[in-house]
Amino acid sequence: MSDHAEHRPPHLPGETGVWVFILGDMLMFAAFFIVFMSYRSEDVALYVNSQHTLNQHFGALNTFFMLTSSWCVALAVEAGRAGWQARAQTWLLGAMACALCFVGVKFFEYSEKIAAGFTLTTNDFFMYYFMLTGLHLMHVLLGLGVLCYLWFSLRATPSAASMRTLESGASFWHMVDILWIVLFALLYLLR
Amino acid sequence: MNTRNELLCIWSAVLFVVLFTIGLWPLAHFLPAHSPTASAEDIAALYQARPWQMRLGLFVMMGCSGLVCAFVAAITVAMKRMENGLGVLTLTQLSAGTCGAVFLIVPCLVWTAAAYRPERSPELTLLLNDLGWIMLFMPFTTFVIQNIAIGLAVLGDRNASPEMPRWVGFMNLWVAVLFIPGGFLTFFKTGPFAWNGVFVYWIPLVVFLGWYLVMVVLLRQGALRAARAA
Amino acid sequence: MPSVFKLRVTWLWLMLIVATIVSWEFGHGLGFGDNYRLSTSAVVIIAFIKARMVILDFMEIRHAPRALRFMLEGWTVAVAATLLIIYWQSA
Repeated sequence: MSDHAEHRPPHLPGETGVWVFILGDMLMFAAFFIVFMSYRSEDVALYVNSQHTLNQHFGALNTFFMLTSSWCVALAVEAGRAGWQARAQTWLLGAMACALCFVGVKFFEYSEKIAAGFTLTTNDFFMYYFMLTGLHLMHVLLGLGVLCYLWFSLRATPSAASMRTLESGASFWHMVDILWIVLFALLYLLR
Repeated sequence: MNTRNELLCIWSAVLFVVLFTIGLWPLAHFLPAHSPTASAEDIAALYQARPWQMRLGLFVMMGCSGLVCAFVAAITVAMKRMENGLGVLTLTQLSAGTCGAVFLIVPCLVWTAAAYRPERSPELTLLLNDLGWIMLFMPFTTFVIQNIAIGLAVLGDRNASPEMPRWVGFMNLWVAVLFIPGGFLTFFKTGPFAWNGVFVYWIPLVVFLGWYLVMVVLLRQGALRAARAA
Repeated sequence: MPSVFKLRVTWLWLMLIVATIVSWEFGHGLGFGDNYRLSTSAVVIIAFIKARMVILDFMEIRHAPRALRFMLEGWTVAVAATLLIIYWQSA
């Protein structure tokens, strides 16, 4: 277990500045979630009926990929901290593979919906569905770039600075995971 | 480097924010935004009701937008210090910021054309009104590129005493992400992603104007530090 | 670094997967019989518990300075509470 010392001094993961971005983004998505919920409450039947046309398996599968990639990134941070650069890189590759699977599933899901005639302008539910998952997907692609950057930065000699970079990128990726966890519940599971 | 002129360019952003808000809000009544679902007659009535206030408001909005060019120059000078010379990010910011100023000025002129002959066919007024709103809120691309360039330059600053704290870099990247939903207004006439919606109008407008004020404080500190070091 | 299977994050990952399956079942209609409102509330609460688990142990906020932990935990509580209040007011 890695939390043996409850009294160890506080440690800020990553650099301070990156939390401006992470907290800012979480604030923006909080606004998305709350606006979605208020519009939903004005026409529950429409949202519930439209939600039934979604394939929950795609959503659940993507939750699995997102959680697993987050886990891989957490392991990469542990490995990097232990000084095992190569193993950290392997875990990052695992995280990137999961992220690519996420993107692939989204691609199939979108094409299935569009083929069935559901688009951005079909109704309010599908507006939120495409806009929120689309903006989240943009974060996933951004995060894939961050993971690639981390992979390359792990080739340098380990230092306090490179560890901080690894933690900053990892924190961003975990945020992408958190946002998906909430989106999955709101878009696929509410009744 | 002439510090007094640099400070003049930095403070011009405050003047821009104040004048633009006065033009947009009490004069032209473009805050809150017109509804994208309003009929041609309703929109024409808005222009007919108070033509000269609207013209004056648009005059002020257009007139103060040139100050953005001065502010972009102030950012450029600060970025030159970050990149130790005219780097690509500095030039990207300069050109994107300049294009951004155009998309503040041109929508005001389009709306002015609508306010110029408010008695013309309502359908034409509606067309010009649409064009103005789309021009002001859809072109996120120049602002996003400008913010990303600033963000990357701040984060890439390897000087012994960096021009700006690193959180400013991340803030600029966050602002860039925030402007992107605006581009989707083309698909919607109602809801939060329409041009009068919370994610296209309210949040980006507040962040856009607030961003100038934050940058003013930081640019001012940088200019004064550079003056002391010189 | 100990073996992967001895790490806290690995057990957490397993718990997150289990929580996903549980909330998925609530989404299907299992759970509180006919009372879909309780099921939905459970779905929302489980989602934010999952988010908190990721925050505390994947992001390692458990050991972060108090201010940051306060802001992130505050986010989960505030957003979850707002969503549930909106949901119950309309239901």
